Amino acid sequence: MPSTTSPFRDGLLASLPIVMGYLPISFSFGVAATRAGFGALDAFALSLIIYAGASQFLALALLASGAPVLVAAFTLIAMNLRHLLYGPALMRAAGSKAARRHAWAWAWGLTDEVFGQALGALARGQRFSEPYMFGLGLGAYAAWVSGTVAGAFAGGGELDAWPALGAGLGFMLPALFLALLLSILSRRQLPVIAVAGLATIAGTLAISATAGILLGMLAGALTGLLGR
Amino acid sequence: MTWDLLVVAVLAGAANWVFRALPILARTDRTVAGGWLERVLASTGPAAIATLFVASILPTLSPDVLRLLPAVTGTLAVLVAYLVRRSVVLAALCGAAVHGITVWLVA
Repeated sequence: MPSTTSPFRDGLLASLPIVMGYLPISFSFGVAATRAGFGALDAFALSLIIYAGASQFLALALLASGAPVLVAAFTLIAMNLRHLLYGPALMRAAGSKAARRHAWAWAWGLTDEVFGQALGALARGQRFSEPYMFGLGLGAYAAWVSGTVAGAFAGGGELDAWPALGAGLGFMLPALFLALLLSILSRRQLPVIAVAGLATIAGTLAISATAGILLGMLAGALTGLLGR
Repeated sequence: MTWDLLVVAVLAGAANWVFRALPILARTDRTVAGGWLERVLASTGPAAIATLFVASILPTLSPDVLRLLPAVTGTLAVLVAYLVRRSVVLAALCGAAVHGITVWLVA
């Protein structure tokens, strides 16, 4: 997806909104970990090894409540099943000749936001590039891990003195997703987008935020299957 | 660090890597070409982004107009910035900035 001579740098630049969105969230995770009785090293390890926001917060709750190890692990694994579809969906958009030699490494960084940003770039006509994926993923990963460590050492309250800054950073991810949605918007995908959005609202209100996300993705994907 | 935490982290992290990398390495997108699964995959991206937008904006919504206002101005800023510049990065940064400024103004 390069637009300059350095696709890696393009990827890093494209990760900027993700970085700014991840920092306050991962900072909050570091704070939550220390408040739940874990050390800075524990928080760092969870972010470094799991690298999945919502399931890390759930991990704190499960581990702090003394849930059995296997129950906790399988609960977290079930939360991230949606990631199974990201790689194939991205590579389908990238085209059959897209390189994937180093996918074993860059695919580790294929979070919701990185997937969305990469797919949006392809939808805007950019060419797929593994260095771009490394740049995009590395920026986001570094922000997530460093934000966690900062939060674990700070112990919380730092952004309380700057509510406008905290609110702005907190709105970064919704703003990014909306911009990505606009970038891939097409008449053909409107039913998919509408059904996914409505199913997310219904699932969130009726069950939970996690269920809403799973239902939204599933309903949207099935709408695409039935609609053509 | 406890062994329980490390075991949970390693199991969940290994599963995450499998979910994210293995379907790419196994070339599942090629094996499903032309089939119903290809149509599902083609819709997965837009469905995922729409879902994540709705899931992330829902907690910011409130019946209180003053609390709702930053989400409205932030959303409008993203729409306008994207329509003007067609840049995802710029639109996201504008939306977050306008949201933060609105919070500061109504505080």
